[in-house]
Amino acid sequence: MGAAIDTGGGDKKSVNVDINIVPFIDLMSCLTAFLLVTAVWINIAQINIAPKGKNRDQQIKEDEKAILSVLVSDERIYIGATRVSGDDATKTVERGNNRPDEAVWAEYEEDLKKIKGEYFSDRTDIEVAAESHDLHVVKYQDLVSAMDHAIKVGFTDVGLTDPAGLSWRPTL
Amino acid sequence: MPVHVAGPRLYKSIKFQHLAKGGASSKKNMNIHLNLTPFVDMMTILVTFLLMVFSATGQILQAQKGLELPKADSKDVLQTAPVIVITNHEITYQGQLIATVDSVLHDDSPTLRIDALYERLQEAANHIADDVRIGKLSQNAKKSCDDMKNGLRPPPGAELCPLGLAIVQGDQTTDARLINKIVKTAKDAGFDNLLFAIKNK
Repeated sequence: MGAAIDTGGGDKKSVNVDINIVPFIDLMSCLTAFLLVTAVWINIAQINIAPKGKNRDQQIKEDEKAILSVLVSDERIYIGATRVSGDDATKTVERGNNRPDEAVWAEYEEDLKKIKGEYFSDRTDIEVAAESHDLHVVKYQDLVSAMDHAIKVGFTDVGLTDPAGLSWRPTL
Repeated sequence: MPVHVAGPRLYKSIKFQHLAKGGASSKKNMNIHLNLTPFVDMMTILVTFLLMVFSATGQILQAQKGLELPKADSKDVLQTAPVIVITNHEITYQGQLIATVDSVLHDDSPTLRIDALYERLQEAANHIADDVRIGKLSQNAKKSCDDMKNGLRPPPGAELCPLGLAIVQGDQTTDARLINKIVKTAKDAGFDNLLFAIKNK
């Protein structure tokens, strides 16, 4: 790499000098090698949940508040609430018949949004459970998707429980 | 074998004068400079890119064979905590085998507790509680612990109090019953704030 330096004074000619870029290239090579070796290509994040029974939202007494519950099974997702009158707070999202997951979770999110807007606008807690059996297995991915979409809607205090521990249970 | 006269040799018989002296007409030697500018440009761009994608979360979780994390949109950054790993075949805690997946799934105990994991977690919970008691924490973690004592939740993205904090790193195809048992075991052992490791979509 070259550069022209004006020597000043009466001399009209400038002097061509070479900037030594070898140390710069050495440094760049070392840094590139280090970063390539230590790079993490998978972006890992987290979903923060609290096992039900000791939720973080403990200011409200358990027996006085309405609780929104979600039960995930391999064929349907049931959404319902305790101490809420009206059928609008109860929804069922069908998952069977090879329905694509994107459509299922989009409908689930839409239903949660409506319920939150109408009944739980000032609340952030929700409880989620998965009904899994030997022949009807619910995968961890489905449970994570249910919690992730709930967080996106605004239910940031997700409580995870087993199906028997849900405050609201669908009538099957 | 008869001795032959040596044949033509490079730079002796074949002079390559046109290469060494810059063509047949020129008598002057040429100084050839390798143009390093594109190389330096490429290196600079590569280093900038790698610095941007550099992430420290790889130190918290280790890649495991047979473990594909579930995908989600959450962007919260993981923080250091005891790690429970669930692969397709086994459950490990801090790298040590706790139980096989089959044995836990076929255990019909009504308590939904994995005893070996419970013992290890309880031990870890006592150790963490001692650390918090003697103040072996960062300033942010101390603040979060104080807030937790006062019933306040830390703001989103803030460092969480290590009390009762554990990471669950499970394969996306894991049976939800297994997750229930692990969550119940963790809760019984005092870990009531779980971080589910996920892969960003």
